[in-house]
Amino acid sequence: MVIEQYTITNKYNFPQPNIDTILPQRFLEQSINSLNQVQHPLQLNHTTTPQFSTFNQNQSNLQIKQTPITLKPNRQETIIAAIDTSTIKIGETTKGIITAVRGATTWLQNHTYKYTRLGPFIFHITEDNKKELYNTLERSYFSKTFGSYNQINPTLLQMPTRISNLLERWLQTMLTKTIKNGVLLFDGSLTAGTPETPTVRLNEILSNARKNCSTVLAFSKATTLRSNGILITEQLPKYDPPYLLETEWIKPNSQMRLLGDVYVARLNRSNFAFRLDIDREIESTERIDAVNKLLGNDLYTQSYPETLRLSHILCTFTANEVLAIKHFINRKHGIQIINRPDMHRLLFGPFGFRGEAYA
Amino acid sequence: MKLYKKEGNILQVISFPTENVEKGDYLLVEDLEAAKALIAQVIDVQFAAVPGVLEELLRTLPDGGEPIQGEDIDLMEIAPHITYIQDASLLVCKIRATFENEMLSPSSSWLPSRSQSIIKKLSTPMLMKLARIEGNLPIIIGGTKDTSLLTIDASAIDGTLNIITGKKGCGKSHLSKLLMVNLVGYKATVVIFDLNGEYSSLGMTSDGKRNIYHDKIHTLTPSQNFKVALDQLPLNTVMGILVNALHLPGTSAREFRRLWKSLKERGKLNMQELGEAIRDLNCNQHVRDALASRFHSFVNSGFFTDCIGEATLLDETFFKAKDQGGAIVINLKNTSNIDRQIVVEYVLGKLVDSLSNWKLRAVFLFAEEAHLYLKETYWDDIVTRMRHYGIFTTFITNQPDTIQETIYRQADNIFLFNFTNEHDLDVVSRAARVDAETVRSIARDLPPHHCLTLGKVVSDFPIVAKVRRLDVKTMGETRLFFTNHKAQSCN
Ligand SMILES: Nc1ncnc2c1ncn2[C@@H]1O[C@H](COP(=O)(O)OP(=O)(O)OP(=O)(O)O)[C@@H](O)[C@H]1O
Ligand SMILES: [Mg+2]
Repeated sequence: MVIEQYTITNKYNFPQPNIDTILPQRFLEQSINSLNQVQHPLQLNHTTTPQFSTFNQNQSNLQIKQTPITLKPNRQETIIAAIDTSTIKIGETTKGIITAVRGATTWLQNHTYKYTRLGPFIFHITEDNKKELYNTLERSYFSKTFGSYNQINPTLLQMPTRISNLLERWLQTMLTKTIKNGVLLFDGSLTAGTPETPTVRLNEILSNARKNCSTVLAFSKATTLRSNGILITEQLPKYDPPYLLETEWIKPNSQMRLLGDVYVARLNRSNFAFRLDIDREIESTERIDAVNKLLGNDLYTQSYPETLRLSHILCTFTANEVLAIKHFINRKHGIQIINRPDMHRLLFGPFGFRGEAYA
Repeated sequence: MKLYKKEGNILQVISFPTENVEKGDYLLVEDLEAAKALIAQVIDVQFAAVPGVLEELLRTLPDGGEPIQGEDIDLMEIAPHITYIQDASLLVCKIRATFENEMLSPSSSWLPSRSQSIIKKLSTPMLMKLARIEGNLPIIIGGTKDTSLLTIDASAIDGTLNIITGKKGCGKSHLSKLLMVNLVGYKATVVIFDLNGEYSSLGMTSDGKRNIYHDKIHTLTPSQNFKVALDQLPLNTVMGILVNALHLPGTSAREFRRLWKSLKERGKLNMQELGEAIRDLNCNQHVRDALASRFHSFVNSGFFTDCIGEATLLDETFFKAKDQGGAIVINLKNTSNIDRQIVVEYVLGKLVDSLSNWKLRAVFLFAEEAHLYLKETYWDDIVTRMRHYGIFTTFITNQPDTIQETIYRQADNIFLFNFTNEHDLDVVSRAARVDAETVRSIARDLPPHHCLTLGKVVSDFPIVAKVRRLDVKTMGETRLFFTNHKAQSCN
């Protein structure tokens, strides 16, 4: 009876035309299905675990070439668009976990930033429903379901990241299909062959982008990039930024595939450098051209593109939203928050109320 | 609403936007287990320190730019919940009483259960019932926020000392008029020192017709229809005028007393004889000059007459007002500073006199800006001696620091209108029946014509009400230059 309330209305107008809405619709259905399976009373654990954005990789086996590729901002007007997704654990139930997922697309056009956020979607994931939940979501958009990977059963705790990854790949697909001659910023790397990123899927995304004459630049958020165990920022060559450094990357295992070449990007004078993966299939002059266009169009205060930063902060859940989601599942799905005092602590804790510490 | 904290007699309650609680509202915090409830009043509404709100607000602002535009495809409709949490407020409440076994007690020492307590708004009618504010002699002060009426009992201002204070033009005189006509309606005798000549029209409706009070409003304008013959004056009243209002020194005062007695014995106590007697007085030059100058003030005031027929009005109005009730308006509008003091001195003396002879039962005295005519020595007198005779005073002022501290400490009721000035709020906070936090936080936000009533009349449950309209002709409006102008250009 609750489901009828949630229908995708005409309000839903994604900035890009002719987008199909099957995936958001499935996300919604599965969300509500899973929440309706919750039997009360349920204990909601108040702790909020850190939010996972994307999969972090061990970067210890990165070799950096010291000759920089110098960059020169290209101010030719180019659409810069970025995608990020985020997930957060809302609480635990006797049977599983409740998690929320949200994605954000930000783009820069005519010198203004615009965004579209999709979500949050809230899932109750249990040992019983996780497989079906995931498969249903995956089937809803991606024609191939990569059965082989599903044998590697994700643990409950991996599920939120998996789900958000699905959402992220879907958003990336939408973007690559609709934006022409653009620079597309992804969060993370272009590593495929992992359970959540089958090689075929990432390949499809990259080839869509190429068809539309767009270049995918994947920035890793991690600022603790190391080479030979030493922080990259400690061994940057003494050249004037902006520049890129080429790297050689030793694959950690046979299943993994790098669909991009890995660079270290230092975009301005601030002492930050990021790992940047650029689609392998793209000519190296075009690669540099794409980065130059990014430099010429976007802001990059911390050596990190503003469009991507905005996507990230827009999809990240604030404590306030976590409270709201708890309120929502309580009101709509009757999930009681039993440990009230902690609720108050969450309300007043972190920023201190009358000097009360968050102990 | 949820109980969050209790510190002494302050409660902190979390409230969500739909609960719509405002400053001044009362809450009932019921602990069913303990079979008790706290009655608390909201004295401040703050943003609850909901974590993440700052990030929430900041993230739509990119580096130094304009807010970014965007769209949320919020299929699960979480957004309303986010706003709901974001707009949660923290209610700071003052505990006023504990309700237990159908009884109210001022206790605030017990701790209600945080998780089990049920918190709801307490409507004014319910509060008035619990606190037994209404009585047999109702006076409707006005409407409260929850569209009920604040009704006090006239007997709660009987025998009391009251203060009406607030910024200029906020409706103080209006409220005192309201109290007065209601008291007169209950056949009480009311005297008002009307500094601006705005009370004489109490007997008229706003369109100038006579109203039900018309025959009970008696306006006395000194030196016009209000005069006094020396023969009617008790000696101590005259001495009061000379010493207090006209600062006559001791030696001269003794001489005057002798003179007065001798004239009285000879049946020659009138202005003409007094003037001659002073002129012919065989005594120290200084004393004679002093007396002569005081006599001059008497003459100049136009308040004294030798014609007994001109000097009967006050007694007549006392007589009328005694049985049927009535308001005696002492119109001091065009009276000079000295004359004002003479008149006030006379009226007060006359009141004490009439009360001690039981010519009057008791009098409700309303004094507007009393510091302009009441000598310092009188303040204590009013709260002690005069109160015992049955003079129950209400001070009305927009300068609260002109009222002496003893008055604040002993005031039974305070009708407080808007104040924004810290100093003014400080002064009022000294009243014993008031707590500073309540005054500060509520009075500051009172809209015009809204009054925070404190003290005995509300059983010490401060209540805010919008003072109701009165269908009487108003005269107290501040005179302005541009009003005519505006009216003309509107035509
Ligand atoms: N409750 C009310 N309803 C309608 N009109 C009101 C009310 N209270 C006051 N007024 C009007 O507002 C104006 C100012 O009110 P009032 O003279 O009582 O203010 P005040 O506080 O005595 O001012 P002041 O400090 O100048 O003496 C008057 O015209 C009065 O009629
Ligand atoms: Mg006034």
